[in-house]
Formats: sequence, C-alpha cells, structure tokens
Amino acid sequence: MTMGRREYKNRKLCTVMKSERFEGDYSSFLSNMSIFRVATLLIALPYYGYAHTSAVNITTLGLSEDNLNQLASPVAQQSPVFQANIQSYFSLNLLSVFPENLEFSEYCSELLAIFGQRYSAYTDCLVSAARPVKLCQNCYGTYNELGKIYKNISSYQGPGNVSCRDSLLRSDRLMLVFLLYNNMKDIWRVSECDSCLNQGLGLTNDTLYFMDTLNQSYRCFEKYQQQGNRSELCKECKATYKGLNELYSRMEKNLTLCIDIEDSMNMTRGLWSKEFNCSFPRAETVPVIAVSSFMLFLPIIFYLSSFLHSEQKKRKLIHPKRAKSNASFMNIQDKLS
Amino acid sequence: MANITKKVSWTSRGDDAGGGEGTPLLNGSEEVRYTRQLSGVGGMFHIGRLSTVDLEEDVTSDEEARPTKSQRYGSVSTYPGSLQDSPKGRPEEIPHNEKLLSLKFESLDYDSSENQLFLEEERRMSYLGFRCLEISRWVICGLIGFLTGLIACCIDIAVEKLAGVKYFVVKQNIEKFTEVGGLSISLILWAVLNSSLVMVGAITVAFIEPIAAGSGIPQIKCYLNGVKIPRVVRLKTLVVKVFGVICSVAGGLAVGKEGPMIHSGAVVAAGVSQGRSTSLKKDFKIFEYFRRDTEKRDFVSAGAAAGVSAAFGAPVGGVLFSLEEGASFWNQMLTWRIFFASMISTFTLNFFLSIYNNKPGDLSSPGLINFGRFESDSVAYNFYEIPLFIVMGAIGGLLGALFNKLNYWLTIFRIRYVHRPCLQVMEAMLVAAVTATVSFSMIYFSNDCQPLGPDQSEDYQLQLFCADGEYNSMATTFFNTPERSVRSLFHNPPGSYNPGTLGMFTVTYFFLACWTYGLAVSAGVFIPSLLIGAAWGRLFGILLPTVTASGSIWADPGKYALIGAAAQLGGIVRMTLSLTVIMVEATGNVTYGLPIMLVLMTAKIVGDYFVEGLYDIHIKLQSVPFLHWEAPATSHWLTAREVMGAPVICFNRLEKVGTIVDILSNTSTNHNGFPVVVPVAASDEPGKICGLILRSQLIVLLKHKVFVELARSRLTQRKLQLKDFRDAYPRFPPIQSIHVSQDERDCMMDLSEFMNPTPYTVPQETSLPRVFKLFRALGLRHLVVVDHDNRVVGLVTRKDLARYHLGKHGLEELQLAQT
Repeated sequence: MTMGRREYKNRKLCTVMKSERFEGDYSSFLSNMSIFRVATLLIALPYYGYAHTSAVNITTLGLSEDNLNQLASPVAQQSPVFQANIQSYFSLNLLSVFPENLEFSEYCSELLAIFGQRYSAYTDCLVSAARPVKLCQNCYGTYNELGKIYKNISSYQGPGNVSCRDSLLRSDRLMLVFLLYNNMKDIWRVSECDSCLNQGLGLTNDTLYFMDTLNQSYRCFEKYQQQGNRSELCKECKATYKGLNELYSRMEKNLTLCIDIEDSMNMTRGLWSKEFNCSFPRAETVPVIAVSSFMLFLPIIFYLSSFLHSEQKKRKLIHPKRAKSNASFMNIQDKLS
Repeated sequence: MANITKKVSWTSRGDDAGGGEGTPLLNGSEEVRYTRQLSGVGGMFHIGRLSTVDLEEDVTSDEEARPTKSQRYGSVSTYPGSLQDSPKGRPEEIPHNEKLLSLKFESLDYDSSENQLFLEEERRMSYLGFRCLEISRWVICGLIGFLTGLIACCIDIAVEKLAGVKYFVVKQNIEKFTEVGGLSISLILWAVLNSSLVMVGAITVAFIEPIAAGSGIPQIKCYLNGVKIPRVVRLKTLVVKVFGVICSVAGGLAVGKEGPMIHSGAVVAAGVSQGRSTSLKKDFKIFEYFRRDTEKRDFVSAGAAAGVSAAFGAPVGGVLFSLEEGASFWNQMLTWRIFFASMISTFTLNFFLSIYNNKPGDLSSPGLINFGRFESDSVAYNFYEIPLFIVMGAIGGLLGALFNKLNYWLTIFRIRYVHRPCLQVMEAMLVAAVTATVSFSMIYFSNDCQPLGPDQSEDYQLQLFCADGEYNSMATTFFNTPERSVRSLFHNPPGSYNPGTLGMFTVTYFFLACWTYGLAVSAGVFIPSLLIGAAWGRLFGILLPTVTASGSIWADPGKYALIGAAAQLGGIVRMTLSLTVIMVEATGNVTYGLPIMLVLMTAKIVGDYFVEGLYDIHIKLQSVPFLHWEAPATSHWLTAREVMGAPVICFNRLEKVGTIVDILSNTSTNHNGFPVVVPVAASDEPGKICGLILRSQLIVLLKHKVFVELARSRLTQRKLQLKDFRDAYPRFPPIQSIHVSQDERDCMMDLSEFMNPTPYTVPQETSLPRVFKLFRALGLRHLVVVDHDNRVVGLVTRKDLARYHLGKHGLEELQLAQT
C-alpha cells in the first residue's frame, strides 16, 4: 500500500488505465511495469502487423510512454470487448459471438469461474462469521483459496504463455474482478487477521492460548451464573478474568490482536462489567471528599493569614519637580482632588 | 503570569540594596554646598531608598526627575503638591494600585548619539565593513532562530518526559487503589507530586530571578516599547525561565509553555547579538558594533518573533506579533530578517523534534502546540454559521473580561500581601495541590464513560469506575498536559464528551487558570485560554443541534471548539492581527481566516468595553511607564511647559569633575540625561543648549579619567573610542564604584567631544500629542524644552508623558512612586 501511494504520480502517467481503485495491486503492477508495456503491445501488435519479437525490442529500447498510449488507444476502441458491451442487449453469450477472441481464452474463463466460486464461498463464510466475529478463525481457508486464484489471474504468465491478467483485470473501466478482490482484501486488512495467523496457515499459538483462557473464563461464568449468585461469580471468577485481561493487554502491546480476539474480549468485558456488574464500586466517597475539602481549605487559610499578618506593601509617592503651574495645570489638579 | 511577582520582582533589587546608604563618595565640602537644596527636600526623599547601589546593572532608577543645582535656580519649595505638604515631612505612602508609575524603570537609548567619536568611527569604516555588518545581522538572526528552536525543543522533550513519568506513577497508583480501596491516597500522591514539581520551579523563580515569573510577554512588550526592565534579557533569566516552565507545566498547573518561549527567544536574541555574556564573563569579541540599545532592540524583536514561531509553528504570526506588540521602529529589511529568524526557528524545532520522534526529516510538527490538522471536509463552515461565530466571539469577550477582572483583583492582592518570596512559593504549591485535588474529584465523581477508540492519542487514560474497555472522559481533559487536552477537544470524534463533563470542566478550569496566572512560576496563559475556549466552544457545538430543529447539519463540534478557543484567547489577551494569523497557521487551515478574524474582532470589541487586555493590566500594575500608540485623546491643551520637568540640571561644556561626581551621586536626583549648555552672562539665567550627555557616558568618561589636565600632562594617553562605551554596555558601573581623588575633583572635563551635539528640542508651547509623537516615533529618551532663545527650560522624559491617561473622568495623571 505505502509503495502504491508513494508512486501515485507515476500512476497518473499511465493513462491507459483509468482505474481509480488500483492501489491494492499497484505495487505489484509497478514492479511489472515493463512487462505491462509488453502486454499492451501484445494486444496492439496484430493490428499493426509487427512481428512479435521485434515489438518487444522496440518497447524496451525506444518507445516512450506517450507513443505507447497512442498505440494502445485505437486498439481499445476497436477491441471486441468494447463492441461486445454495446451489443450486450442482443447477445447474452459474448464468447459464442467471438469464439476466436484472442484476449479471452478458454483458460481465462475457467479462471473466472473458479474465482466466482471461491468468492462466494468466502463471502458466505464472512457473513456467517459476522456476529459474534469469528472471521479470522473460520475464513482464513477460503480467503487463502481466493488469494491463490487471484494470484493466478494476475500472474502474467499462465500455462502455455497465456496470461489473463489484462483481459480479466484491466480491460474495462469498472474492473470488477479487481474491485471485488480488493474489497475482500480490505476487509481482511481492517480486521487485522494476519496478526492471529501463521502466514495464513492456521491460528498462532498466542491466539489459541487466548481462546483457551477465554473459554476458562466462560466456563467459570457459566458455573456461577447457573447458581444465580452474582457476587460469588465476581469473586470466584476474578482470577481467571484478570488473567485474561492481562493476557489481552500483553497481546495488545505485542500487536498480536485481531478482530476475533478484540471482539470476544469486548464481549467478555461487557459481560463482566455490565451484565454481572463486577466493576469496582465507588466505595470511598467520604475519604475523598474529606481530603479534597481539606486541600481546598488550605488556600483560604493561606490568603486569610497573609491578609491579616503580612505587612501591606506601601508605595512611597514621589513628587517630581515641575515648572510653576499655570491655571490650566491647576485645573487638572483640582479635578483629581 | 508575568506578574505578581513582577511588581515585587522587578523592584526587589532596589529594596534590598537601598537600605544602606547615602554612599558618601561625595565628600565634605560638597555636602555643604547642597544643603540648601537638601534642606527643603532631603528629608522626604529617603535617600537610601533611591541609591540602589547594585553592582549588577540598573543602578539608576530614574532617569527623569530633574531638579536642579540649587545654586542655579531657586528653591524647590514652591512647587505644587511638593512633599512638604505631607504630614511630619515623610513621604506619603499609599497601597499599591494601578495608577502609579514606578521610578525603577528607565528608558532605553534608541536615539543614537551622533557625537564626534561616532562620526570618526563611521569615517574609518570601509564600504566592506558595512557589508560585513549587514551579513552579520543575518548571521545573528539565523543563530537566534536556531537557538530559540533548540530551546523550544528542549522544553518540549523535558516536559513530555517529566509529565509522562508523573502521570505513569499516578495512573499506576490509581489503578492499584481502585481495586483495593484507598483512592484518597492516590489523590494525595498526585497533589504531592504536583506541589513538589511546582515548588522546585517556584523556588528558582522567586528566590533566584523573580523577573522570570509569568509569561514574560508583558515584559517583552515593555522592552520593545523602550522601557528598560531590569534583568529581563539576562542569561540567568533565560535559564530560570526554561527550568521554571518545565517544572510548572510538568507540575500540572493550568499553564502553557508558549508564552515563556517568546521571552526566551528575546533573551537569546539579546545575548547572541552582543557576542558575549556578562553573566558568564565571556566576551567572544564579535558583534561589537551591535552593543547598543538601538541594535539590540531590533534583534530582540527578531527573538520574540522566533519565540512565537517556535511556540505555535507560526512564522508569519511571529513576525506580526513583533510588529503588533513591539517595534515602533520598523523597516522592510528588518521585517525580512525577522521573518528569516522565525522560519529558522520553526524549522529547527521541527527538525529536532523529528529526530526525537524517530522520524528524521519528517517536518510535520512545526510548533510546541500542534493543533492538529483540520481536514477540510468534516469541518467546512457555511455562510449561515458566521452569525454564530460572532455570537461566540461576544461570549469569548465577556468571559475574557471576567477573567481579566478577577485576575486584576487577585494580582493587586498578591502585590500588596503576598510579596515575600517564601509566601509566593507557598502560594504556588497550594495552587498546584488544589489543581490536583480539583482534577481528581472531577474525575472521581464523573460518570461520563466512553468506549476506548482505536486511535486515541491520549496516553494516559483512566478507567476508574467505568466498565472494562471504557475510559473516564473527564480524565482526558484533566489527567493530561494542557496541550494534549486542547488537541483532544479539537479532534476527538463527536460524542467523545458529554455536555455535563464539558460544562464542569470549563467552569473549574476557568477559575483555576485565572488563579494560576500571576503566580511566581514561569508559565503562559495561551494554552489555558485555548483550553477553556475549546471546552465551551465544543459544548456550544454539541448543544446547537438540540436547540435547532434540524440538528444534524451542524457538523463537527471540533470546529466550534476551535472558534471558541480563538474567542476566549482573544477575549483575554486582546491581540488582533497576530493572533488571527497565529491561529490560522497553527491549524494549518487558511479557510478559517475569516471566522477567526471575525471572532477575534468581536471578542476584542466586547472585552474592551469592560476592561483592558490581560497584558496591559499587568503592565499597568507593574507601574511601567508604557507609551501607547497615541497620546490620550483630550490632551491637546496640555503644552510642553506643563508636561516637562523643570528646572533642569545642566552641565557646561567644560565642567568641573567635582560637580559632575556630585550630581551623579546625588541619590535624590537620579537623572540619566543632562543638557550641555553654554552659560549666558547672567548667572541665574538658564544657558543655551549645545548638546546632551548621558549618565552612562559620563561614567565611562570618569572611569577613564578623561580630564583636560591629564590629557595635557600625558600626551600619549590613548584617545577614548566608541569601543570603550560599548564595552561598558549594558551594565555601566554605578557612580559609587568610581573613585575620584580630591585632586581630581578640581580637574575639568571637556564634554563637547562626547555629547550628542544635536539633541531634539521643542518649544515650550508644543502640545502634548505633538511631543508624544516625536517621542514615540523617534524612540527618544530625553527631549529638551527650550525657550525662544534656545535656553533650556525643561526636559521631557518618558514618565512625564506616560503619566497622562484617559480615565473615566477625563484626563488623569498617574503618580510617581518609589517601588
């Protein structure tokens, strides 16, 4: 992300892509910049009749960005996908209309279908894990799957030198696949699930340990709640609850929190403080008031005593020498006195 | 805070030293000669009090009373209101009040004396020399900015560290005792920590350098106005100031560290530009040309600007502050240099803070107080909100006037009754303890709990009795350094505070801040004002939707917090242009220029209707002869004849050393400027003016024994140069430390080479406003009044002009007092 921002300016140069939401993938895109140029040319070449290899040479050697754009833009207008969009009312199956479509190979449509399946699996999982939040625990598998297929799509080199990167991700203004994946990635990022997972392979030991402690607390709550004795609960479960709290704040410091843990901790705290009413009571109002009023009383004594005992500071008046006063000067004196 | 002590502090030196003596360097015969004069007056002028034999600096307390040698003019007894009238022949004593002018304060010499030495030096100086001077001015300004920024950085880091430790300890303690009981112990711990930090600060201030108390802005204002405030730009003052600020802010008082930065910048400037430190007895032999009041003043205004700029991250605001508050003497190049110093200062602070924050090169924390960024979407304002802003400005003006009035009464009480240093230390400690107590009780009894957010900037959150996972929202304002509280009031999302909390906070903090300003600690009033304003402004913003039907359009309460802060600050200090720019720069949002300007305008108009600005009140209470921009409005009928002091002690071109020594040592006539005259035939007629010589020059002459007879006998003697005068600047030795033998008393001194041959003069009929304009515009110290034959009839000085002011009953006259 940060890299994407820093190179925001570069991005503007790249007018072929009118994407506003390209940030997520942008760093990888930039790293593949030259390759992308090649790819653009690959689309352009058949129409201009250049040989495959020589075009690559031209790109790397001499073509500027502008030239490239000039090359690419007529292509875009003529491209079958654009025409297809216009005709979409009449034809439901684009592929059957253009079976020999260069851009949209069989392989790519397969990838797209798989992407769709995994995407819906993932969103299903997300929704079911929404409340209480179990997102990281339950959905990391489907998320990983989704990530893999997206990686396939966005890789520039598929099997047999076929790449679906441009045809699936960047050939229209909407760039739906990219958008969808990016949203999911955002959700994952905001939930900070990565800090609870071992590179996406499973929950970390810390997380498991936390879950364990959490369960202990719940068991304790349950036990005493059944007895209906809340004050007993506060007393008996305090140790486990406190341990849980400490563990949580340790993890907070280590930055190993994810939304699952935060949410369950919030719930537990809510239970503890609001449901069971185990927070500290305001018990010592009297001593606090006493000490405060003593403190507030001190300045009164101080000022009174300094008023009564301190010698008042007097100023000695000095009368400067002036010229003999005339009538008007007397006036001002009179007025004053 | 400049103030309470100020009175005491600015004057205390004189008092200590005063007791002792008529310091009789003048020997026998001379006394006799003066008996006639002294018999009339001597008894009443408590000689000892005036003599202030203080080897440090400010010996002469009054440049300006100017009675005469009695042999020239008649006795003084005929003057109206003279002391003989008072009972038992003792001086009248009255309690301190605002209608006094203190004898302690002198003018600075902004008018350069174009005597022959000066002309000679100018002739000797090459073209290259002048270029070098110009370059060194720039170098000095750069240095001023750099050092000021560095000091700001040190203060910031030290306060953060100290306050961090303090809040950590208290927080741990509170957490512990919330669980097991005994929170009153935490309260006591907090109060003791606060008091002890403040005690350290107050002791350094009250016992070591009382002038360092307060924000220092009134003092710097006076300095730039041309009043020499003793010890105000000393290195010692700077050290005490910086240390004091760290202690008082970390000690949890309702104060800020911004005001003192302005003072610190000024001291740095005064020090750097002289190329030496008299306190450390170290002379680097550089920048010698700048060792006079005129040059120093320019640098001090640059220093003040650099201080503002470091405090608020507002370089332009700093320049305008100097322009508004200070320099009456202004030119384009000076402005440009001052701006340079300001920029360097904020850049330096920024740079070092970025290193401290481990983000070297990230120049995004330009000032000590960082209001944070107001992002334009959430806090855009609308046309229909402008009347609301103006209403807020009026509220700010009213509250500011109330604040000033309360503080005025308090300050008078302090000057009259709490003037001993140990009492001042005790008072400061009490305030610190009470501040902690009040804060604690507020937090303790608050029921306002808010959920912890992910991006809470406050590091010290207290949970206390809130549910787990929530924090006490009263604690974000009270259990925090004031700067952070301001920021959280500006930026915390809507809903972080409930109205009750803010209301309670505003009321308590208002009184705490009002009580705190004026203690013997170094601390400023900017931040507390901003904090009060931000609190009620935010309250205003929260309550607004409940008043109007369709509430939701009144967006972010943070915006109203900002406007409230501006209104409150404007209502208290009454600064206009510079404050607008400072606020705009500190928020980094130019679109707020208009509302902030309107708010400050309204606040000033409303506030001025009731009472003056806080700084002006304190300047008055210190009895400083401060010259405002204009003479009082109804004073055209007063002429120089009524205003001037007369008769004048004059010297002849060739004057006897004995006479000079006697006059200089006469403690009842502590004058600093003496017209040099050509005597006319009739001996009791005043002489024709031919020049003006200053006490400081005479002292240097006496020290180097520049006597006519000696010059004849020792032809080889080195000729006195301007450098000799500069070396003695600014702490000219007192006359008592100069020994003149009986033989030397009979020598003669030729003053014509050293006096200013072209002093400004006015005829007797000149009106007061005219004299005033001359004085103010040229930065004069003495203005000779002559009759139509160019004979000296009187002398106008700063105190003669400053004593008139427009009161409720027309033109009033302030009285001179010994303080």
